[in-house]
Amino acid sequence: MSEQARATWQEGLRDTSPILLGVAPFGLIFGVTASASGVDQFAAWASSLIVFAGASQLAIVEIIGTGGAAITALLTAIVINSRHLMYSADMGRLTPALPLGLRARMAYVLTDQAYLVAATRFDGPENVEGLPSYYFGAALSLWTTWQITTTTGFLLGNFIPASWRLEFAIPMVFLALLVFSIKSKPGLLAAVVGGTVAVLAVNLDYQLGLMAGAASGIVAGLVSERWLA
Amino acid sequence: MTMWIVVILAGIATFSMRFVFIALFGVIAVPPLLERALRYVAPAVLAALAIPAIVSPDKVLDPINPFVPAAVIGGLAAWYTKSIGAAIVVGLPVLWLVLWLT
Repeated sequence: MSEQARATWQEGLRDTSPILLGVAPFGLIFGVTASASGVDQFAAWASSLIVFAGASQLAIVEIIGTGGAAITALLTAIVINSRHLMYSADMGRLTPALPLGLRARMAYVLTDQAYLVAATRFDGPENVEGLPSYYFGAALSLWTTWQITTTTGFLLGNFIPASWRLEFAIPMVFLALLVFSIKSKPGLLAAVVGGTVAVLAVNLDYQLGLMAGAASGIVAGLVSERWLA
Repeated sequence: MTMWIVVILAGIATFSMRFVFIALFGVIAVPPLLERALRYVAPAVLAALAIPAIVSPDKVLDPINPFVPAAVIGGLAAWYTKSIGAAIVVGLPVLWLVLWLT
């Protein structure tokens, strides 16, 4: 790695460090709650390496752990992670000239935070000198933090008594992420409709109420753009 | 075994969604309707995950159970501090307090 690339890498790491402080507790919570959820612990732990997307990992544990169907867990994870299509499109705009193998490695560590940090620093394809080094400084620090904190959570989870009701941490994390995700009036309506439909349909088999809530919320957001946006 | 299958398939699907437009930029574009719909994925799915777990913990609508005050106060803490950790650190003690009082 050249001197220049190393400096850019460190810059990416530095710009991401405040975010790491927010990611660390989420990683711990995922590890602790997943270890207590009754699902295959090794598979849940390995999801940090294989899926590497916190909200979807937590959703899989929640759905399988409460007796939902595998297909519901898989579809929910796909729907949650579909936002990466947006980040992928924007990263593709910035990196058309890079080798495909490098872009594949960039894709594996693509997260909300890594994308937002990199897209803030590099705004157009004419200005991408140093983008890979900077991006990997950001993305790999997030990846490493996630692996260490989720593993630590799994190890700690075995020592935490059930009376602490830590399973409540799962919906609390979703609630916190929900609060951060509402950025417009149609977005708020998507949340209200999605939550209401999911509550009304909570007794559908295979946790289909979740898919019904998600689908109706997305449609509500789209349809209401004309009036609310 | 179910858990392994779900994790591996979710991993393949997630990597594919992360890679597809990075790999094919200029070959295929994101359809405009999909781009608009993606904006509402996070609020809709997260609400559908969080709200039933809080207001119907036993699959029956129960809007005055102990999880509700804990979630309201924890949610406000998350909103105010912009931190996931705050939702837990504030929400869990509220839950313990309500469980202890009732």
